[in-house]
Amino acid sequence: MVSKIKKTLSFQDTIFNLQKFWSKKGCVILQPYDLEVGAGTFHPATTLRSLGPKPWKTAYVQPSRRPTDGRYGDNPNRLQHYYQFQVLIKPSPKEIKKMYLNSLSSIGINHEEHDIRFVEDDWESPTLGAAGLGWEVWCDGMEVTQFTYFQQMAGVECKPVSVEITYGLERLCMFIQNKKSVFDLIWNDEGITYKDIFHKSEKEFSAYNFEYANTDNLFKIFEMLEGETKLLVEKKISLPAYDQCLKCSHVFNILDARGVISVAQRAEYIARIRELTKSIGKVWIESQS
Amino acid sequence: MSELFVELFSEEIPAKLQINARNELKKNIKNFFIDNQIKFNENFNVYSTPNRLVLHIDKIPTEIKLNSEEIRGPNVNAPEKALEGFIRSNNTTLEKIFKKSTEKGEFYFFKKESRKIKVSDLLEKNLSEILTKITWNNSMKWANYDLYWGRPLKSILAIFNKKPLNFIFNHINSSNKTFTDKSLEEGLKIFNDFNSYIKFFKQKGVLIDQDLRKKIIQNKINEIINKKNLKIEQNERLIDEIVNIVEKPAVIICDFDKKFLNVPSEILITTMQSHQKYLPTFDKKNNLTNNFFVVSDIKDTKGFVKLGNERVIEARLSDAEFFWEKNKTQNLVKQVDKLKNINYFKGLGSYFDKIQRMRKLSSLISDDFLISKDKIEIASSICKVDLMSDLVGEFPELQGIVGGHFAKFQGFDKEVCLAVSEQYLPNGMESKLPKKMYSVALSLSDKLDSLVGFFGINLKPTSSKDPYAIRRMAISLVRLIVENEIKIKLKDLIVYTCSAYRDQGYDFDTKKIQNELSDFIIERLKNYLKEKKIRQDIIESSTFLLGLDDLLKAYKKSLCLNKNIKKEIGFETIAVYKRSSNILNTEEKISIETLGFADPGLFKNDYEKKLYKKINDIRKYFLSIGKDENYEESLKILSSIKNEVNDFFDNVIVHDEDKIIKKNRLELLNMLCKTFDNYFNFSKIEA
Repeated sequence: MVSKIKKTLSFQDTIFNLQKFWSKKGCVILQPYDLEVGAGTFHPATTLRSLGPKPWKTAYVQPSRRPTDGRYGDNPNRLQHYYQFQVLIKPSPKEIKKMYLNSLSSIGINHEEHDIRFVEDDWESPTLGAAGLGWEVWCDGMEVTQFTYFQQMAGVECKPVSVEITYGLERLCMFIQNKKSVFDLIWNDEGITYKDIFHKSEKEFSAYNFEYANTDNLFKIFEMLEGETKLLVEKKISLPAYDQCLKCSHVFNILDARGVISVAQRAEYIARIRELTKSIGKVWIESQS
Repeated sequence: MSELFVELFSEEIPAKLQINARNELKKNIKNFFIDNQIKFNENFNVYSTPNRLVLHIDKIPTEIKLNSEEIRGPNVNAPEKALEGFIRSNNTTLEKIFKKSTEKGEFYFFKKESRKIKVSDLLEKNLSEILTKITWNNSMKWANYDLYWGRPLKSILAIFNKKPLNFIFNHINSSNKTFTDKSLEEGLKIFNDFNSYIKFFKQKGVLIDQDLRKKIIQNKINEIINKKNLKIEQNERLIDEIVNIVEKPAVIICDFDKKFLNVPSEILITTMQSHQKYLPTFDKKNNLTNNFFVVSDIKDTKGFVKLGNERVIEARLSDAEFFWEKNKTQNLVKQVDKLKNINYFKGLGSYFDKIQRMRKLSSLISDDFLISKDKIEIASSICKVDLMSDLVGEFPELQGIVGGHFAKFQGFDKEVCLAVSEQYLPNGMESKLPKKMYSVALSLSDKLDSLVGFFGINLKPTSSKDPYAIRRMAISLVRLIVENEIKIKLKDLIVYTCSAYRDQGYDFDTKKIQNELSDFIIERLKNYLKEKKIRQDIIESSTFLLGLDDLLKAYKKSLCLNKNIKKEIGFETIAVYKRSSNILNTEEKISIETLGFADPGLFKNDYEKKLYKKINDIRKYFLSIGKDENYEESLKILSSIKNEVNDFFDNVIVHDEDKIIKKNRLELLNMLCKTFDNYFNFSKIEA
């Protein structure tokens, strides 16, 4: 499948190569944020740092949790916990496409041998009050990356505009390693597989998300966290406020997976989280100028 | 004669935006040439690839001559500053200014001498504005710039008469160079004319002309399907999208494991078309095969592209198969109760509530349609269960269709399955129309329930906004009725639907809903007739007397009159009507009101009597036809009164001195007009 690199690139080597690549491009290599989030975009290094005038370059791995996507470890393509490799650069550099294609080369995907396609994908995150234009990048028909120019974040127009590149690490590695199941991915050179590390947790968290999470408690926790966020916004400390908001968002995701939120309620909860994000964004921007 | 050649190089612009940008650029540049009276080859083209928007026009003069002209300045009474400004802006002196009277008063003038202008100067001055005028349906900003474009614009190449044009568009300076490597955005190269540009890229396999790309893709596909005895579906929209997401198309035929063919074909087709932009193939009997086409943007020299795409489809189809196997055995009837947890629409209850209403409504309709009440009630009960399935979660566009397959698998009656499958059809003007009565009944009750519900909670569309696509719903309702030639009392059905809502505790104002919905549906019928190219005056007339219960009649009569309006039966009918109604209208203005009852005892001559008799004959005809009216025959009968009417007007003076006789003659004419109303009110028809 993959040229130039002879031995199979392991999951962790893929991460190392991407980190090295983007580090050379001047990015601050961060570690994952230590809260449950739905995507790398939720890391404050993206949401908050994409707001305001100050230039910023970062790259990091972010474990991402999507409770509704859990399949008890039975589905070869779906996980409730997976990894994204996230790059955010503000303002978006002129040669970003070249950089991106070269980053693919660094993990063994040569754009002259594969059908790399930039397919229209307008991105929107209702809970973040965010929107952007860009593409999903296909490699021989497989979506491996989201490539987005942020136009709006936390309800605020982005100026300057940041570019966000989000690699789906599992998909990318399945492509590189030529695997049909995510659980067969090779994690390191010792032959440890994705299954060895994550299968049990997929199974158990699916059970938690779908069956055992105590919804009465979670509804209460949501209210408490929402109140706390509002209080912290009043005190104008945006980062702790944002943490509480992220927790809200995750609690909502579990409730959603448990199937206890109706369609109408769903829209209402999303709107509530968006309001929190917006108020935090405002406090953050004030602190930037 | 010279050529203008412009290339706008950007990051990948989505297909729809590209098509729009080509049209916009074409229109704007054409207007520029016309406005400036510059000759140009009107058969010019705008081309695009995902990265390049290219304009090429030839046969342009290098210079144009502007005739001398008198330029009007400020009024002679205007403040002195205005005159100073006029002198300055025309780069002239006070001596060359003269006064002249016009219709609007006396003004200062300046005579501009005839002069020659270089077209290249004009272009350099105006190109930036021409580009600014391109409107995008969806555009973005990037980096620190203020420019909005479909995707980041990287460079502009602009050549006129083999020389570069120099202008600035926002932050970008035009030049005679472009990036020949679109991926890495490198390989800057100078081009001085369009031909060498096209030739250079052709050698690299890049086709700038979208029509050429389309031809090549289609030829290659045809070559392969002919050899393999396959067919593809004519899907222009998908082909046009594919054409605009590649620059060097390579058609690759791939296949997937035949075992997936056990999954309903709609699921497989949707996966291939909407999710992956693949073209599925069919055998001669129209059955889906496991071969499909990928149009790659690169020659697959090492076979990676084929392999990769086959793996992707395998993963996607495995997913679909997994859900299909899981969902198909889940008992539809047992799941109905769970619909209570699924909100239909805020303020309109759950889907469980909705199907209760639909069941009542479809059961009532079944009496009119002479179909089994039991079957349509079963169809109504299970029709929304598929909304809870994983498959519809994955493929929302297959709602209904998937439910139909579940029903079939679980052994439901054939007609019930089809009705579930077609419940959302038609969906607008172009979509497929269900023909079987069970399907029509289910679709009708679904749409009526929605329309009444949305009007009930006052979510009617406004002139500019229709977020719930209510117009489309109503147009679909009109199509269901007129195209299937259904005779149905829509008014009663609306009242009945309202009562179904009221039974569930909704406080709906039946009268209000009935009136508003009536008007709304009649408006949709008018639009529908317009789409069918019926004359506007006929459309207006058709809905003048015929209401909601007569959609089919209004449709058929319009169609018939539209067809015959230039023929004798149509033409004469209208002429007779107009001749009579014109007199009535004039008299009404001096307030002689008539009721349409002439007294035969007051007739003075045979002409009146004959006309009276003929009118009564026609009335008898309309009384006798009942439900099976032949509209052409009706027009023929109406026009046959021509002789009696002409004789009447040639020999009888309506304005008799005796007011009673005059009134009686007017009554006779009114009788005639009212009789014509049996077809429809012709007063709005323009003769």
